Amino acid sequence: MSKMDEVVDYKKTKKRLDGRKMDELRPLSIKVGVIPNADGSAYLEWGQNKVYAAVYGPREALPKHTQNPYKAVVKVNYRMTTFSVPERKRPGPNRRDHEISKVLGEALDRAIFTENFPNTEIGVFVEVADSNAGSRVACLVAASCALADAGIPMRGLVSAVGVGKAFNEIVLDLNKDEEDAPDAVDTPLAIIPNSGEIVLLQMDGLLTRKEWDDVAKMGIKGCMQVYEVQKKALADRFQFEELSKASVEKAVLGNEVSKKEIVGKEVSASKQVKVVSKEKKEDKSKKVRK
Amino acid sequence: MSKKVVIPGELISAERKKLGSNVFVADGKIYSKVLGVIDDTDEQASVVALEGKYSPRADDVVIGVVTRVVFAGYGISLNSAADSFIPSKAVRDQLRIGDVIMAKVDRVNELKEADLAYPRRLIGGEVIEIVPVRSPRLIGKNGSMLELLRKGTGSELVVGKNGRVWARNGNIDLLKKIVAFIEANAYKSNLTNALQDYFGITISEKVAEKSAESESLPRQDGTSEQEESEVINYSNEGEFK
Repeated sequence: MSKMDEVVDYKKTKKRLDGRKMDELRPLSIKVGVIPNADGSAYLEWGQNKVYAAVYGPREALPKHTQNPYKAVVKVNYRMTTFSVPERKRPGPNRRDHEISKVLGEALDRAIFTENFPNTEIGVFVEVADSNAGSRVACLVAASCALADAGIPMRGLVSAVGVGKAFNEIVLDLNKDEEDAPDAVDTPLAIIPNSGEIVLLQMDGLLTRKEWDDVAKMGIKGCMQVYEVQKKALADRFQFEELSKASVEKAVLGNEVSKKEIVGKEVSASKQVKVVSKEKKEDKSKKVRK
Repeated sequence: MSKKVVIPGELISAERKKLGSNVFVADGKIYSKVLGVIDDTDEQASVVALEGKYSPRADDVVIGVVTRVVFAGYGISLNSAADSFIPSKAVRDQLRIGDVIMAKVDRVNELKEADLAYPRRLIGGEVIEIVPVRSPRLIGKNGSMLELLRKGTGSELVVGKNGRVWARNGNIDLLKKIVAFIEANAYKSNLTNALQDYFGITISEKVAEKSAESESLPRQDGTSEQEESEVINYSNEGEFK
């Protein structure tokens, strides 16, 4: 699979190893509300990356010394499953996990109205089930969707993408082969799209001033593409726009489908129906007395 | 009135308006804070949240569960970030862990801790949990939905603003299904009418007249005192009958 041995030059090939254009994202899909026990959750697939995010809170921050009486504390827990990488990952949190948890927490903290929830914590748990470069940006994208799903007030979603240089060309959303290129520069970039604020920016490698300008431009453009997917994932669950515009009949018809279901169950439990009718009579007699 | 689902940070209005709930201002424009439905009128821009935990407010009727018993009083879970405390003096009978109480939020301090007033133990029955921000829909305009549910299922009902519904007697299985249905369709219109058709009941004229005025989601702040007094009155009836 690896083409490391060959001399690859994107300037000559004009196409990337996986056939993408230079500024093309890997296929991205997000599903929101996948974990019923969490206050908010999201599942994301981005190329080969597969990520779960769950949000709990705002809840009482424990241990108590972590509480801040002025704001909520965002506690992010980034973990990789043992099977998410080719070589088994030892399950304990390592240096990299701690670092990513920290930077993701700081990025999300900027987006959340933490001052609304004194003395509380917002627990964000992101689990990487499969990875292929860019897992931290994938986690950030999933986590911000999960936060919105939990109903936590935010200044905006956080959208993120990996940009950088590989095989002599500036590319968007690097995969593992590109990240391992001899001249690779990896730059995870996260912004809050509606304010344009940069909340995460790391760089691994060296770029010239000119290259950096291109990277930033391409990254912000990529973030906006990611933002559109996030927006869709969150709003599409509520088939609302059509319903509100549709006639009253349509709304009633929609209710009738579920009504049938309820009626069916009611009939099967015939005893309950009797109870209901008795109760109704009692209700009426009460009214009469009054 | 435009109805649309918005996500956090989405633009609500570029004009200057009164700020309603769940919105914030940046650069003179009004944006949504949460995932919700736009409620933008000429005077006021606001968003009705679709998801979210309960955050206590003065005058809310809530249903609490006793989580802690000490000599001085009881710790009460309200389904919010901070637990409440009721001194032993305030309640008539002794409470035990797991008991369900109903109370009114008297005051909320700057740490969002609620002081409870008029605590009252709810004996027997069941507690159904729903997404707290959708509970106004269970009460409806002027308590129309509450009345409908009570008549339709024959249950005694108390709806807490903290997403807990206490029910006793009547057809509770049916009630649970209806409550789940209302929760799932809380943001859709014509809900009350559809349920009225299903039950074959028309709610009392006085309430119906008022509720016919508007079919939209009851506003989060706009849930008037009338609704809450409705809840209180009803439970009074149940207790001292």
